[in-house]
Amino acid sequence: MGTAATLGAEEAERFLFAEARLLDERRFDEWEALFTDDGVYLVPIDPAKEPSRSISIIYDDRRRLGERVFRQMKTPVLDQNPPSRTIRFVSNVEVAPDAADGIATVRCHQLIAEMRPGGPGQAGLNAPRWFAARCEYRLRRTDGGLKIAAKKVVFLNSDLPHYNLSFIP
Amino acid sequence: MAVGERAVGRFRELVDDDPREFRIHGAVYTDPEVFVAEMARIFERSWVYVGHDSELPAAGDYKTVVVGTQPLILTRHEDGEIYCLYNRCRHRGAVVCRQERGHSNFFRCRYHNWVYANNGDLIGMSQSTGYPDDFDRSGYGLVRAPALAAYRGLLFVRLAEQGPSLAEHLAPARRYIDWWLGRSPVEEVELVLPPHRYEYPGNWKLQVENGYDGYHGNYVHLSWQRVLQLSRESTVEEIQRYRQSGAARGLANGHGLLERPGSLNPNASWTARMMQRYPEYAEAMRGRFSEEQLVAISARRNIFIFPNLYLFDTHIRVIMPKAADRTEVQLYVYALKGVPEVINEGRFRGHERFYGPAGFGAPDDIEVFTEVQTGVHATGHGWNLLNRGQHRERIEEGEWVGHTTDEAPQRSLYRHWRRMMAEA
Repeated sequence: MGTAATLGAEEAERFLFAEARLLDERRFDEWEALFTDDGVYLVPIDPAKEPSRSISIIYDDRRRLGERVFRQMKTPVLDQNPPSRTIRFVSNVEVAPDAADGIATVRCHQLIAEMRPGGPGQAGLNAPRWFAARCEYRLRRTDGGLKIAAKKVVFLNSDLPHYNLSFIP
Repeated sequence: MAVGERAVGRFRELVDDDPREFRIHGAVYTDPEVFVAEMARIFERSWVYVGHDSELPAAGDYKTVVVGTQPLILTRHEDGEIYCLYNRCRHRGAVVCRQERGHSNFFRCRYHNWVYANNGDLIGMSQSTGYPDDFDRSGYGLVRAPALAAYRGLLFVRLAEQGPSLAEHLAPARRYIDWWLGRSPVEEVELVLPPHRYEYPGNWKLQVENGYDGYHGNYVHLSWQRVLQLSRESTVEEIQRYRQSGAARGLANGHGLLERPGSLNPNASWTARMMQRYPEYAEAMRGRFSEEQLVAISARRNIFIFPNLYLFDTHIRVIMPKAADRTEVQLYVYALKGVPEVINEGRFRGHERFYGPAGFGAPDDIEVFTEVQTGVHATGHGWNLLNRGQHRERIEEGEWVGHTTDEAPQRSLYRHWRRMMAEA
């Protein structure tokens, strides 16, 4: 009861920094475990559209999120071989308590620097890229700690063409 | 526009149509002069796909596109017709529209305030006393593209004054387009906007060659096959067996396709599976089509229409060359009209799972495009082989038909490419 109201900006920040570290360190299975069983991960093209009736860059329910992580960690992917290096900057963190008990909406900005290393002259490799995004999380307090019930990442250029976004934004 | 005689002669040499060892030279991917000529001699001469009827449902709707290097506006006028206009003010050449899509009944040049109706007519000039009284505005409208035509909702323009009709251009692929539409019992699709968009540092023809390549799947998409195995939808072994079935077809006019067998067995085709699962869909389909037609419709196909269009089971794919080594691709997912909504939502989710810049399959394809683009700079041996299956292909009804892993469609692409690049 009243647990949402107790989520302060500092705790939210600590959570988001830890999440960013898991992704930067490619600990994708630990990252996946941050999601609730009904968690949703959304990277829209047009955030104004209802995702079920339109097309998103990523629209994962928990099962598909599991496939995404399995694919990266356990299968012979090409798109992350060599793997991306990322550095994530998290800022402008704001917490808005939701009406429902035990859940809070957290908004932040993220800037992701990404590059894939490779040999000389390799098209697509050795080129740092920057992704600015507005993010929105729904965080739920559970017996196992704070969990992500929903994560939405809206790129500044979400509706423009992208090269490979397989690094998990 | 002008491409020298000598260059044209050289383009012919880049495709070696040898009956045993069909080859293409790596310069087709890397040479900026080839690229400039492709824009002028292919994209600004051939029929090029520019959009779908459903993107401009209401009078006043517009979208802007680039064909070759030329900016165009497609609009729907109040007369209900679609117009294709060059996006260039007749006065001093500024574009009259900066947006990608929108709704407007007129276009205003921001430089000196000339105003055009959305059928191109010049309807307003600022400070018009600066022109003589007999200035004939009717001669200064936005110029219309020489030819705009539609086939069953697919819109194409041809920027050359002369050339074959759209019907002639599409004829070798027409039945496949009809079957593609046939998964809708009213034979119509509606695009879901906005599209998936991706770009890669590689040549546009790499995307063309790959879309109907039945050979790479077991290697580039082994990762995807493992995901399907994890989710118990199929085993890697079953998928690899399935991938041996069907045919690769090279068509005239540069078109081509990859095809899996049609079947009314729910275990063997998507269409049959949907018909089994949703009786109202089955009823609508059986009401519209004969048994024989249903088998043809149920065959899954990736259909390429030269030079920039693919029809896939989930999306319409548009290939947009930017430079010899830069390409944008747009995937317009579409809803099948007249089918239960749950079928389309399943198709949308299935599409997202494989395609787009963060899908489980397409980024692996794009990765190999960049590998080819890098590799073909090595000229110790400058040729790529496209001879797979040449010894076993057969010609049926004007089509080169090969095993599903053969390079028959790629050979059709380059035969037509050479014709357009090296002949008048």
